[in-house]
Order: sequence, then C-alpha cells, then structure tokens
Amino acid sequence: MEAVLSFCFAVLLAPFFPVVIQKVKAGIAGKQGPPWLINYYTVVKLLRKGSVYSTSTSFVFKLGPVVSLAASLLLMLFFPWAGRAPICSFHGDVIMLFYLMGLGRFFTILAALDTASPFEGMGAAREAFFSVLAEATIFCILILFFRLTGSLSFAEFFVDTHLLNLMDTHGALLLLAVVGLYIVMLTENSRVPVDDPATHLELTMIHEVMILDHSGPDLALIEIGAWFKLLFYAAFLSCIINPFQVDNVFLNGFLFYAVVVFVYITIGVVESCMARYKLEVVPKFILKASILVLFGIILTIGGL
Amino acid sequence: MNFLFMALALISVGGLAGLLLARQFTLMKLVAISTISAGCVGGLLFSLSQLFFGSQVLSASWRWLHIFTLSFRLDSISLFFLLPIFVVSPLALLYSFHYLENREKKIRVGANYFFFAVLVVAMVLVVMAADMITFLLAWEIMSLASFFLVIYDYQKKATRQAGYLYFIFAQGGALFLFAACALIYSHSASFTFAGFVAIPDSVKLIAFLLVLSGCGSKAGVLPLHIWLPYAHPAAPSHVSAVMSGVMIKMGIYGIVRFYLALAPTSAVFGQITIVLGALSGILGVVYALGQHDIKRLLAYHSVENIGIILLGLGVGMLGVATGNKTMAAFGFAGGLLHVFNHSLFKSLLFMGAGALIQQTGTAMIDRLGGLLKKMPLTGSCFLVGSIAISGMPPFNGFISEFLIYYGAFYGLSLTGVSFIFSALVIISLAIIGGLAAACFSKVVGIVFLGEPRDASLPAASEAGGSMILTQFVLAGACLIIGVWPDYPVRAAFQASRAIPLIAEFEVAQFMTLMVNLSRTAALFLFLLIMVAGFRKLLYAGKDCPQTGTWGCGFTQPTVRMQYTGTSYADSILDFFQPFVWIRKKYAGIGKIFPGSISYDTHAEDVFANGLSLIACSITSLLGRLRWIQHGNIQLYIAYIVVTIIVLLAFF
Repeated sequence: MEAVLSFCFAVLLAPFFPVVIQKVKAGIAGKQGPPWLINYYTVVKLLRKGSVYSTSTSFVFKLGPVVSLAASLLLMLFFPWAGRAPICSFHGDVIMLFYLMGLGRFFTILAALDTASPFEGMGAAREAFFSVLAEATIFCILILFFRLTGSLSFAEFFVDTHLLNLMDTHGALLLLAVVGLYIVMLTENSRVPVDDPATHLELTMIHEVMILDHSGPDLALIEIGAWFKLLFYAAFLSCIINPFQVDNVFLNGFLFYAVVVFVYITIGVVESCMARYKLEVVPKFILKASILVLFGIILTIGGL
Repeated sequence: MNFLFMALALISVGGLAGLLLARQFTLMKLVAISTISAGCVGGLLFSLSQLFFGSQVLSASWRWLHIFTLSFRLDSISLFFLLPIFVVSPLALLYSFHYLENREKKIRVGANYFFFAVLVVAMVLVVMAADMITFLLAWEIMSLASFFLVIYDYQKKATRQAGYLYFIFAQGGALFLFAACALIYSHSASFTFAGFVAIPDSVKLIAFLLVLSGCGSKAGVLPLHIWLPYAHPAAPSHVSAVMSGVMIKMGIYGIVRFYLALAPTSAVFGQITIVLGALSGILGVVYALGQHDIKRLLAYHSVENIGIILLGLGVGMLGVATGNKTMAAFGFAGGLLHVFNHSLFKSLLFMGAGALIQQTGTAMIDRLGGLLKKMPLTGSCFLVGSIAISGMPPFNGFISEFLIYYGAFYGLSLTGVSFIFSALVIISLAIIGGLAAACFSKVVGIVFLGEPRDASLPAASEAGGSMILTQFVLAGACLIIGVWPDYPVRAAFQASRAIPLIAEFEVAQFMTLMVNLSRTAALFLFLLIMVAGFRKLLYAGKDCPQTGTWGCGFTQPTVRMQYTGTSYADSILDFFQPFVWIRKKYAGIGKIFPGSISYDTHAEDVFANGLSLIACSITSLLGRLRWIQHGNIQLYIAYIVVTIIVLLAFF
C-alpha cells in the first residue's frame, strides 16, 4: 500500500518539478517565470486538443509516444521513492529497465524518421549517437555500484541500506559516480549544455526537433514521459546525495523531495550560466563522465 | 539415434528429388520443400525430446574405407546446436517457395535444393561428430555445399568473386583446423575428442588458438570476417538466412566442442575469447553502420552477434577457470541461447531484406524509403527483428544478453585481471547494444519509414504468401521467447550441463530470475496496451486532419531532402576513426550558382584493407617465382625425380 501511495505521489508530482528549473532560470535572468502549475495546465490543454498527422507517417509515428511513456512508467514502478520499497523489484532489474528506456528511445527515433523531415532526421541521428555513450556510462556506474554493494536492483541499492550514500564509507568514490550520473542526466534529458530545449532554431536541437510533428495528446504523452524520466534521474541522484536519514516516514519523504528539488535547482543554475556545447564537443563531455566512473572502478580493484 | 539418421536420409531424399524433378518446376519445389522439411521436423522432435527427457548420451559408429572409424555422439551441447538447424532450415525452405520464382532457372533451383539438403545433412553431421576425422569430413562437405549455394547467380561477376573469396576463407579456415587436429593427434595419438584431455597445457593453448582461427573464419570472428559482407549479398536470401542464422554457428560449435574436449584450466582461454568477442562485437556493428547495402549491413551484424556469443562463452570460460559457478552457468547459457536467438532474428531480417529486394530491385538503403506503407506485413516483421537484434525487451535478444550481463556482473566479485575482463564484457555489451539500436533505427527509419527516395524504382507490393508466413512465424517466436523465456533458457542451461562445473549448479536460481523477467516483460506489454487504450480514448470523436510534414518554414520540400542512412551514421563513424576508414569524394561548392555536384562516401573496413594489402604483397612476391610453373610436362617430371633423389639422399 505504502509502495503504491509513494508511486502515485511521484507520478503526480513529476510535472511540478520542471517548473523549478524554469523559475530558477527566470529568477537569475531577473524575470518572474511561469506559474508553478504551468505543466498541469499544459497537459490539460494538450489532452483536450486533436492532432494533425503528416501524410508521410505510418503507425510507427503513433506508437512512438505510447512506447516511450510505457517505458518511463515501468521505470517509476521499480524505483524506491524516498527509500521505500517499490511496487516491483527483482535482482537484475536495473539491466532490464535501462534496456526498456532504450526501447522507448528507439521508438522516439523511429517516429522522428517517420515524418520524412530532414530536421527530425538530424535530431534522431544525434540522439542515437549520444545515447550510445550515455548508456555505456550508465553501465560503468552499475559496475561500480555492484562492486560496492553486490546488488543489481534499485530496491537493493537504496531500501534499508545506506551503502550507496555520500555520507557512508565509500562517499569519496561515490562522488565520481555522482558527477558521472549528473552528466548522464543532462544528456538523457536533453538539458544544457548537451541540448537546449528552449532554443529557437530547429537545426541545433536534439530532442525537441524530434517531436516537432507531434501534437495534441501525442505530445502530452511524450512530455509526461520526459518528466518521469527527468524525475527518475533526479531521484536516483538524490538517493545517493541525500544526507538526511530519519525514521519518520513523512519527514523522510519530505526531506527526500527537498533534495530532489535541490537537484532541479542545480540544473536551473547550470542552464543559466552555461551555453550549450558545440555538437562535436558533446561526445567528449559525455566521455568525461564515463572516464570519471571508470576511474572510480579502477580504485576498487585493490579491494574495498 | 537411428531415428535421427532416418531423418537425415529423408532430407537427402528430398534434396535428390529436387535434382531429379527439376523439369516440373512447381512439383519439384513442393516435393523438395515438403520432404526436407519433414526430415527437419522429425529431427527437431528427436533433439527436443532427447534434450529434455533423454537420460543417456547416445553414440554410434561405423568403419569407413577400412581404415577410419566414423563415430557419432550426441551430448547435450550437440543436441542444443541441432535446434537452430532444424528450426531455421525448413522455414527458409518454405520461404524459398515464393522467393525462387524464376521458371527459366529451374535446373538451377533444383540444384539449389540439392545443395541445401547436403548443407543441412553436413551441419547435422558436424554437430554429431565424435572424432576429428568425422568432424573434418562433415566440415568440408558443409563448406562445399554452402559454396555452391552462394554462387547461385554465377553469371554475375560479383557473385563469382564473392564465391571465390568465401571458398578461400572456408579452405583457409579448414587448414587451421587440420593443423589443430594434427597437433593434438601428435600428442594424444587418438582421433576421438575424448582423448584430448591428456595433452600438455601449452599444446592445449596453441591448439585452441588454431581452432579459434579455423572456426573463427567460419563464424566470422574479427579479423577473419571478410567473406561475410561479400558472400551474404551475393547469395539468395533464403541461403543467406541459413548461412548467417545457422551455418556460421557451426564455427561457434567447433570452438565450444574443442574447448570442452581440451578441458583447459587456465583463465587465458576465457580472456582471449572475451577480447575477440569485444572486438568483433563493437567493430562489427560500427562497420555495419557504415554500409549502404542492406544485406552487407546484415552480414556485419552477424559479426557483431558472433561477438556477443563469444563474450558469453568467454564469461563462461572465465567462470570455469576461476571456479565461479554463477558466472560459468550464466555465461555459457547466455552464449548458447544467443546462438539460438540469433538464428531466429537474423534469418527473419535476411528474409525481410530478400522480400524488399525482390520487390524494389535494389538493396541500396539510401534509395529506398516509405516501404512500410507498401509492404506493411514485411515491414512489421522487420521491425520486430530489428528490436530483437538490438537486444531490447520484450524480445528474445534481450534474454540472452541479460544472461551474459548477469554472469559478467557476478564476475565483478573476482579480483585482479578477471575483474577487468568482466567489466570489459559489460561495457562492450552496453556499447554494442546502443550501437545496434542506432544501426537498426537507421535501417528501419530510412528503408521502411518516411517517403520513397527514388521515384525510378518499381512500385513495391507485399511479398508472396509463403514469404510472409515464415516471417510471421519467426517474429512470433522472437516475441514468445522474449515474454516466456522459461523453456529456451532451460534448454540452454541443459546444454551447458556438459561442462562439469555447471552440472553441479542449481537450476532453481535461474528459473526465479526467468519468472521475474517474464513478469516484467508482461507488465511492460500491459502498460503499453493501457497507454495505447488511454490514447485511443483521448482521440475518440476527435477530428485528425492529414497534411504534409512541417518543414520548419520551408515551403518547397522534396523527398530527396530526407535524411539519408549515410548522414545518419556519419557522426558515429567519425567517432570510431581510425578503425573505420572513411573515403569521401566531394569537390565542394565553388560557384555562386552551383551546377551538379556529386558526393560519394565509403566507410571501409580496416581489417579487410589490411588483409588485402598483406595478400597483395605476398602474391606479388610469389609472382617472382612464376618461372617455376612453365607448363612443360617433361620438366615437371624432372622436378619429381630431383625431389625423390634429394629425399633419398638425405633421409
């Protein structure tokens, strides 16, 4: 029951957090920013609309948003929100979940190529390339975590154990993983400096250009899936850096989400003080993350 | 065992019928296909029942030419390798019913069925062989039969060249195998596989390296994979399906069989296998990304998947060497299961490629487009195959990759070098998975989605009935194994019990994991259906007009402006330099009003180039000795006389 409640809570809150980024960016730029509930309004607005489909598209175009949302939803089901046991979990689930995310991405790419638009093809090619590197980094992180805990599931990582916490014995090693994971988060969620969701030119985008032709409820499904994904990564990071461990369920949950908000704030700060990288620099940026984590792995060779 | 020999006899009869009835085109196809398939189904039932319920190892032998004994033995590994042979071959034959439609080539089609039957029988004999003589004999028959299948279109120059290249690699590989067998025989003085254990460790390593080269050239292990991208596009698609899906796995079988027979204890064997696997896996898929011809691309993906299989086997070998049971069991089971899985989705993809080449007349990815609308069934099956080969759930490719991952993760608890190799396996698998997804999003996206790029191509329509049927069967099998992996995994596990360490391993641990995978896959499908239903609800009663794609303000878009496969893969290939040589011919835009411009790019395989460089320098060096071959018979006799005198004088 508790697991279901915490899952529902996370699902309902997911559209809220991205506003934090927008507010931070607006604040730094001296503006007021959008209303706090803008994303909920957007969803309602999009769901009420119809769609315009391109004559070039086939059923794959309509399948894209569905698959990517289903994959993100499944991910939410397996994640231990605020350190509480998730609804589903098994030893080895991390491998399957990251591969399912890959499936979601695969269909997003196909939907983009289905429109026959050169811009969307460009975005698709970039997404395919960068995600290869990001995925390799993720598996480096999993290697490090397995080395530290002997576990292969989110529940084993974080429920009733603090082995993977910055405050614990391996904190120094985990710092490398945190930086790596942060870079992966920026990459996988198309944030600055890898991709700029707010740029005005389609030629320079990655993710936003891939969904140019989606509209109405289809677009809403994509957006919701993207919010879930971002929340997942932010929560994954928060579980590691969360310094507060209290027994009270509500207080614990509150502190956890406070740390999540902190992660979103840092994203906003990064977006405000950096421009996006040139496209040829992006692979090097992601490789930096995997090198850091690999270094962490090497440090564990001598024994723990 | 007799039942299996009867099945083989039936298959041979089917092949002969193909040859004898060649003048009655349709009748010949019907008789040959049904007889060979009946033999295969019999063989399949036999091997399945033996694998799951058989308690003893079957064996048989008879004398041949009064000197040699041909002996056969069916242990669990052999039984497992019979499965892909007996599953894919009849499906490929069924596919060929509508694929080989040209009545004018009926003699050739008949010969094709004959060699197909020979190939199937030879592959079965390779797997059954219990000694080196039988193994090598069957191996050679297999190579020759497949050579004749490749040169089906022998009037084309490219086909003959491809056949020649394949012939060289097949025979060169066999040479390594002969060397390995001779080396082993010189130490063990016995032809049977059972006699291998006694030879010294250092010899074992050399023998294993020779086997890796010999079987590797058949399997397509880098850098001996060069024949694959030539032979597969040249061969008819049902032949490519069997060769890539099944025959190259005989190379893997050879490696496993010799490994089992040698029973080495050193970790070096596993480490070599892992390095070769990582190399083949990553570079195979990188080269695949650079291909313009869809069948060449699929051929490079065979190299990649052989790499994945080797990674699995390597993990298993490392597990055996270090005494880590989980690692050994999961590594071997994963590698073996991937053998079976790959035979399903690769033959599916080759059949899809064959159908679209038959319909459009071209295999060039960048000339195609929008085929999903014209060939919805073939396109959907191809999409399933693409997801499966990229190793994504809920399809079968994921299950075997998951097992390998799992084994490798358990290798991380080891210390020192073994730890590094386990990590290498995991990272390579992750990179391979990502790149394979990139490559197949390219194929599906460019070929099947979007708009047709070339108006001069004939209007395609759906392929013939038998071709569609086989693709659906294979696509269904991919999904079923992905969602209910229980029995296939059990079979793979049963097969790897031939290894003593794994025989002690508890199967229960496997099965709870499989239940979890199966549940998660089902849960995902459930969520998918729920979201799709929700989406349908949202669109209920809404008007969805159709219009052109949003051109970002550009009002005169043409289909030629679509992204091409070449540009899609460009940045990834660029990243993997210097392992890929990209040759570009492009003059650039010079004038204010540019005229016609051409742009030509080829991603070249470093290993193919390097090997051809070595081969060319050797032939030019040997060319200087041409004067020895003058064609004068008297002088040849003189050579013989001189040689005999020299031999008599010195020995």
